[in-house]
Amino acid sequence: MRDVVLKVIYEAIDEVNIDLETPVLKNEDSSLFGENSILDSMGLVHLITSIEQKLEEETGNYLSIADERAMSMESSPFKTVKTLADYITKLIDEQ
Amino acid sequence: MHIDFFNNVFEENASSPAIIWQDHTLDYSWIRNEIKRSLQFLSDNQVKNGEVVALRGDFTPTTICLLMALIENQNIIVPFNYEIKESDTKKFVIAQVEKIISVDVTTDQYSISKTENIADHNYYKTLNDRKVPGLVLFTSGTSGQPKGAVHDFTKLLNKFRAKRTALRTVNFLLFDHWGGLNTLLHTLSNAGVVLATKDRKPEEICKFIEKHKIELLPTSPTFLNLLILSEVYKKYDLSSLKLITYGTEPMPGSTLTKAKAIFSNIQFQQTYGLIELGVLRSKSKSDDSLWVKVGGEGFELRVVENILQIKADSAMLGYLNAPSPFTEDGYFITGDFVEQDGEYLKILGRKSEIINVGGEKVYPQEVENVILEFENVVDVTVYGEKHPLTGNIVCAKVLVSKELDKAQFIRELKSFCKQKMQSFKVPVKISIEEGTLHNDRFKKRRQL
Repeated sequence: MRDVVLKVIYEAIDEVNIDLETPVLKNEDSSLFGENSILDSMGLVHLITSIEQKLEEETGNYLSIADERAMSMESSPFKTVKTLADYITKLIDEQ
Repeated sequence: MHIDFFNNVFEENASSPAIIWQDHTLDYSWIRNEIKRSLQFLSDNQVKNGEVVALRGDFTPTTICLLMALIENQNIIVPFNYEIKESDTKKFVIAQVEKIISVDVTTDQYSISKTENIADHNYYKTLNDRKVPGLVLFTSGTSGQPKGAVHDFTKLLNKFRAKRTALRTVNFLLFDHWGGLNTLLHTLSNAGVVLATKDRKPEEICKFIEKHKIELLPTSPTFLNLLILSEVYKKYDLSSLKLITYGTEPMPGSTLTKAKAIFSNIQFQQTYGLIELGVLRSKSKSDDSLWVKVGGEGFELRVVENILQIKADSAMLGYLNAPSPFTEDGYFITGDFVEQDGEYLKILGRKSEIINVGGEKVYPQEVENVILEFENVVDVTVYGEKHPLTGNIVCAKVLVSKELDKAQFIRELKSFCKQKMQSFKVPVKISIEEGTLHNDRFKKRRQL
């Protein structure tokens, strides 16, 4: 499942990159939101919504990634590609 | 007594055409007689002064005469469109409707029924103490619960005492709203011809304009948009049309520009009316400008914290089922965000429709205007959706003109929006729709 999640994240990054001067790199250590990140809050919102839409296409289920729980986690799941992929995989497993 | 000045006009113009309906022409002497018959009907059915009566119909001859008779009979009138919706039954209760008169839109036959309601609202008592007819109009309200605005009908009628010219006007706006009633009363008080059609689709309206040599079309921006996109105006001779007035919702700049280009000989004028206050006189800065001067005799305007406030002689008494929207010094808080330039105003949108994205304000119209410029877009409705990251996000429902690759279209549209506006205004979610995005009033539906 994690492979599918990664693929979806990378596809979403591709989309967000179209309008960015400095692209978000496509590797697991790539920083998404927070220190040294390229995305601003709207960039992150667009990325997350795009991931949600693509996941729905892949799995047939809608999964809300940015919810109260994600917001209140001690360590943000939106820090890097790796933390995000881990978080989404966990959410899917819990479904 | 209450319609004396109308009766004078009817008498002076007895042989002039008053109503053209289903290809019959009825003159003003017919109207006078029919109002007398209607008054007899009210008395035969024990409709007493001060009773709350719902009138269901459209701009058909007997509905018009029943309306005048109810005013004369000093009733509190609650107008409804002929087609009853689920929400209308709720409105009967809110307005404490005691009797319902229904006029069939096709046959023009009418019937009356009683309800169980008892009309004891304080505002009704006020009207009855003043011995004046009343009018109850409903506004959709932001919470979804319709609000009933109670008017002293004589105050609304006063402005029709001044003589003006009556252009040949199509009664496009609906019977249950002041816009529609305003057109009707203006036409009657100036001995014009009431021209109404049941069908309000672009093609029917164009056909109607050609057939009846219509000079004035009062309408909404959404209808204009549909008219432009349908291209049906090309099939008909609309050369009689002199003036198009638009109101009820903010006009997208792109629609006005397109409309001006297509109908280059027609004058465009913005109107500004509120269910709570009536229709204000308005003057656009220029034909293709969204800046407008509103007001006129009996209206005082001021802008407080970017929101328009209006004091009006013809203001309603209040809502039947909601707190007073008036300030202590009697100004009505419109809820419309405006920009001000000297005596001109630009209406930006309803306060309640503004989308707050991470503390930044987004006006749906502004985003819609950009999306409407994009290829293959027929119509769009922009609305907000809650989002844990930014409080709200901007979403758009887009109606497209042909089958296309949705994913690619959405990508391209987002890119287009990003070039044209700040990133927080760019719709995060875009859905592609088929069908229509407006309601039967030709206004956008933003509550989904």
